[in-house]
Amino acid sequence: MIASDHTIRPAPLAPAGQQSELPHTFVVRVLRQDGPGEPSYWQRFRVTRERDMNVISVLQQIAAQAQTEDGQPVAPVAWECNCLEEVCGACTMLVNGRVRQACTALVDKLLAEQPGEIELRPMTKFPVVRDLVVNRQRLFRALMRVKAWIPVDGYYHLGPGPKMSPADQQRAYPLSQCMSCGCCLEACPQYLKIELTRREGESDEEFARREQQAYDRGFVGAHAISQAMLFNTHPTGRMQAAQRIEALMQEGGIQVCGNAQNCVAVCPKNIPLTTSIAHAGRAATLHALKKWFDW
Amino acid sequence: MPRPTELGPFRRPCATRRPAGGLVQRSTSVESEAARPLLARHEFLIRRLHSLTGLIPVGAYMCIHLATNASILAGPATFQDNVDRIHSLGPALPFVEWTCILLPIIFHAVVGVAIIRTGLPNTGAYPYEANVRYTLQRATAWIAFFFIGWHVFHMHGWVTLPHWREQVARTGLGAQFDPEHASSSVHEALASLWVTIFYLIGVGACVFHFANGLWTMGITWGAWTSPAAQRRAGRVCLAIGILVMALGTAALVGVWQVNARTARRLEDARLQWKHLLAEPPALVPATPGESPGENAERGGVSARAMSREASAGDGAATGATAAAGPVDARELGGGEGRYK
Repeated sequence: MIASDHTIRPAPLAPAGQQSELPHTFVVRVLRQDGPGEPSYWQRFRVTRERDMNVISVLQQIAAQAQTEDGQPVAPVAWECNCLEEVCGACTMLVNGRVRQACTALVDKLLAEQPGEIELRPMTKFPVVRDLVVNRQRLFRALMRVKAWIPVDGYYHLGPGPKMSPADQQRAYPLSQCMSCGCCLEACPQYLKIELTRREGESDEEFARREQQAYDRGFVGAHAISQAMLFNTHPTGRMQAAQRIEALMQEGGIQVCGNAQNCVAVCPKNIPLTTSIAHAGRAATLHALKKWFDW
Repeated sequence: MPRPTELGPFRRPCATRRPAGGLVQRSTSVESEAARPLLARHEFLIRRLHSLTGLIPVGAYMCIHLATNASILAGPATFQDNVDRIHSLGPALPFVEWTCILLPIIFHAVVGVAIIRTGLPNTGAYPYEANVRYTLQRATAWIAFFFIGWHVFHMHGWVTLPHWREQVARTGLGAQFDPEHASSSVHEALASLWVTIFYLIGVGACVFHFANGLWTMGITWGAWTSPAAQRRAGRVCLAIGILVMALGTAALVGVWQVNARTARRLEDARLQWKHLLAEPPALVPATPGESPGENAERGGVSARAMSREASAGDGAATGATAAAGPVDARELGGGEGRYK
């Protein structure tokens, strides 16, 4: 399970004998791409092992040396990172074929699992911007589709909202930990990549509109379903519950889920995504009946 | 390795792969709201109907079908009784078959193929148990698709037009099932070990697809939501699957145990008996010396008339009846005796 080695803990001070088992240097294979729509290619980098290294520090070293294993000078590998403590989701990539955050992918553990080499690839479900940087706009667009917010703006003070029961708090808190990293989408067999190419003479606005339209027809994904359930649990957010469920019943909605349950298995925050999906399914069933029979 | 798509659900992702692992996308236009395919506009309804038809009527029908077939273990007479009960619908039977069985199966299959095309199994990268079942659900769907298609041809020849049935289907090893000779015709149809193995695989695929589909259906409709509830429901679905598979296996064992000769003899006798009941005066020739009153007594005469009819009949099977002498009353009663 990926989730098990996500917790950050200080690396044990290994005895000298054990230290020597790990190599002084190791190879990092990176799937690179120079820009959107460009062909991708592999490059190998030789990295000197340091203590308590994570994949981010590996990428920093690669950027500093800016040359491949055989000494050929290359442009530094591009990647994104921000919080470095697994709460922002920016550095999500495929490390040894598994989707996870680079900041909590510890080199010593990776080399223990697969000696000698670490493989880095960009996420496969989002359009690549450059190297390991992907465009996750569709992920955020899905949150807009399901109205994953609580509307409290108005012309006058609305006063305090209704109280939230402790039971609802218990249910909502795990869902609120979602950092929109996209692991659930990367692992989902029903979530397929949508990447449009710009047409000749197409303006930025036209292309963006076409892209958004394509995104809105694709599967919303587990994260958005779970966020819809989070805001439907909230006493103020519940007032728009029907709208969120209605949004989940549109094309590319909850019905696309194939119950492979990979989302919950790869979620770095252990969010009960499949429970959210089942709750959304139940809400959709009831909503459909309500609509049909005009209850 | 997932492939990209810029198309909505029910559309095949279009992509070509470059050797370096890179992916190339083809651009297509985004249609206007009105031009969106019907399937996309009513995706929720269609997917829910697909889910529902999997249980009712398709899954429920499969359970009843396998249970009826398993009754062949109780002997050809019992099996023939059950088949006769189904065929007692007479001219309404094709209507019931089409509306309650065939059309729902065709709907489930066609929508199912479209659904399979919207996903890209990734058990290689994520070999979790539920993900393996996701892939198996789709693999068994394909097996079931071809198995059921062939099975309906093998037993019924697809359509019941007499010309098609005799001139085309039967020459292509189809239309093997004869509802008036249920046990013996099924025994002959499954005489080959390979056909039986194929049936075992096909039934196994159908049963897995049913049991696992029942589990996912509970999540889809929101019957079991928490991981603990889903685990418990999974155990119940597994038990149901094992039970239904036992029925299917029992049916195949029962078919193999049938003694075709005695089964056919019994079936022919029952057929004669049925004709006799339908038109008693025409079938019972007057015997000199007996009073008309005795002839009219159906119960007293029928058994003798029966054997006379049987021996007068043509074909090897009725010949066997004649050689064995008058059919004993127990055979005619049905249900009591076992013919193995």
